[in-house]
Amino acid sequence: MRKLADKVLSMDRRVIYLLMAAAALLPFVTGPLGLPSRVSPEVKAVYDRIESLPEGSPFLISMDFDPASKPELYPMAEALVRHAFRKNLRIIGMNLWVTGSGMAEKILSDVAEEYGKEYGKDYVYLGWAPGATNVILGLGQDIYKTYPKDYYGNETSGMSVLEGVRTLKDIPFMVDLAAGDPGIETWVVYGKAKSMAGGCTAVIAPGMYAFLNSGQLVGLIGGMRGAAEYELLLKEMGKATVGMDIQSTTHVLILGLILLSNFAFFSTRRRG
Amino acid sequence: MSPELLGAWVAAGLTLAIFSFLYRDNPFFKFGEHLYIGISVGYSLTLLIFNFMIPKWWTPLFREGRMSLLVPTVLGLLIWTRFFPRFSWLSRWAFAFIVGFGAGITIPRMISNFIFRQVESTAVPLVSRGPGGVSFGWEDLSNFLIAFGVLSVLTYFFFSVEHKGPIRPLARAGVLFLMVSFGASFGYTVMARVSLLFGRMYDLVEYSSRGYGYATLILLGIMVAVFSAQALSKRREGE
Repeated sequence: MRKLADKVLSMDRRVIYLLMAAAALLPFVTGPLGLPSRVSPEVKAVYDRIESLPEGSPFLISMDFDPASKPELYPMAEALVRHAFRKNLRIIGMNLWVTGSGMAEKILSDVAEEYGKEYGKDYVYLGWAPGATNVILGLGQDIYKTYPKDYYGNETSGMSVLEGVRTLKDIPFMVDLAAGDPGIETWVVYGKAKSMAGGCTAVIAPGMYAFLNSGQLVGLIGGMRGAAEYELLLKEMGKATVGMDIQSTTHVLILGLILLSNFAFFSTRRRG
Repeated sequence: MSPELLGAWVAAGLTLAIFSFLYRDNPFFKFGEHLYIGISVGYSLTLLIFNFMIPKWWTPLFREGRMSLLVPTVLGLLIWTRFFPRFSWLSRWAFAFIVGFGAGITIPRMISNFIFRQVESTAVPLVSRGPGGVSFGWEDLSNFLIAFGVLSVLTYFFFSVEHKGPIRPLARAGVLFLMVSFGASFGYTVMARVSLLFGRMYDLVEYSSRGYGYATLILLGIMVAVFSAQALSKRREGE
């Protein structure tokens, strides 16, 4: 018994990596585990807010992340853009993270193609501009001065998708998808949007609940779990839903390893 | 080879190269790491120059003659005087502008959004008042926990008074709230890291199919063969 406990305590970290890889691959072998999931109120609030918007309303989505957070925020962005296109909202896309600029463009153009939406009429991608704080402040004063041209170099003035929109105050609802700074906090402080929700990586999600509690955010989609909940609301099984099976298998493994190592630790200590 | 197929091979190869660090530091990892940094910087610079500097600075200033842009241009150039000790004092003008503007814009907004709004949402009634009189429900319990949590954590970080007597249990309660907070944060962090693992695993599994020429399997095989050969040659050197 003691030998086994010692072996557990001195286990090569590479064994843990292999076990993690095996746990992560398990759902690919077995297929969907079909574990039940529940939609949290903060995610439902974002969904309900988009549902409440009248057809043709402008909707701003700022995709402030880069490929390093793709597994969490890409499905979230896709789900939100899908929802907005389903509701026939006019989407204004932008981003504050230079390395995520192309990825944000891909999200919008892929989903727009899926729904047969027209660029410039149903959606626009403003792209990236440096100086996040100044960009947000500029949007609060004049969108056309901040973004005289879109990502593709087209003039933004005269675009039908931006009709009736001059400042952030003309946009009834916006969502910021963030992987860090600049992100939700920057928008909360400088944005002064009429109504705003956030979507973020799980790492920064706990810190965002304070803004939810204070009413500065109307809803919050946290991490892959939040994205999976949103997919559930849309009744579309996407990558986030698939990813939750891996979350379950790996979390069971992590819990098992924590219990095992604690058991081994205390059993060796008791025997001196 | 189609661009999609090439992309799959590059993505699978680079993912495996980065993952190979879990075995040990090696040239595959070094290559992937350096390439990532180089591409990130190259991509950022290209976007900065072609999507921002040319349309918003070069063209208006030098082609359209908007002389007002000379002010930020000069201020920006002054920062570069840091490289010349004799003139480096000039950079202070630019920094003074940045600090002054930044502080003026940021401080009132930070106080308003991070302090006043948060205090407002913490200072809420701890009981409900309705037609049936005063009651204490789940929402009130939540409000109580928030208020008590804030007070106890602030007490823990208040070092002007020794944590003795009635202060001690309050400070201890603060520690408990902090523990719960750290636990929740760490749990979320684990979830985030597993999400990243899923993202790469998903692609690796996809690229191991026939449609992508078994990219993952072949590249993994090559890496394992290289590591095995290295280990064997090291063992022989040792003998």
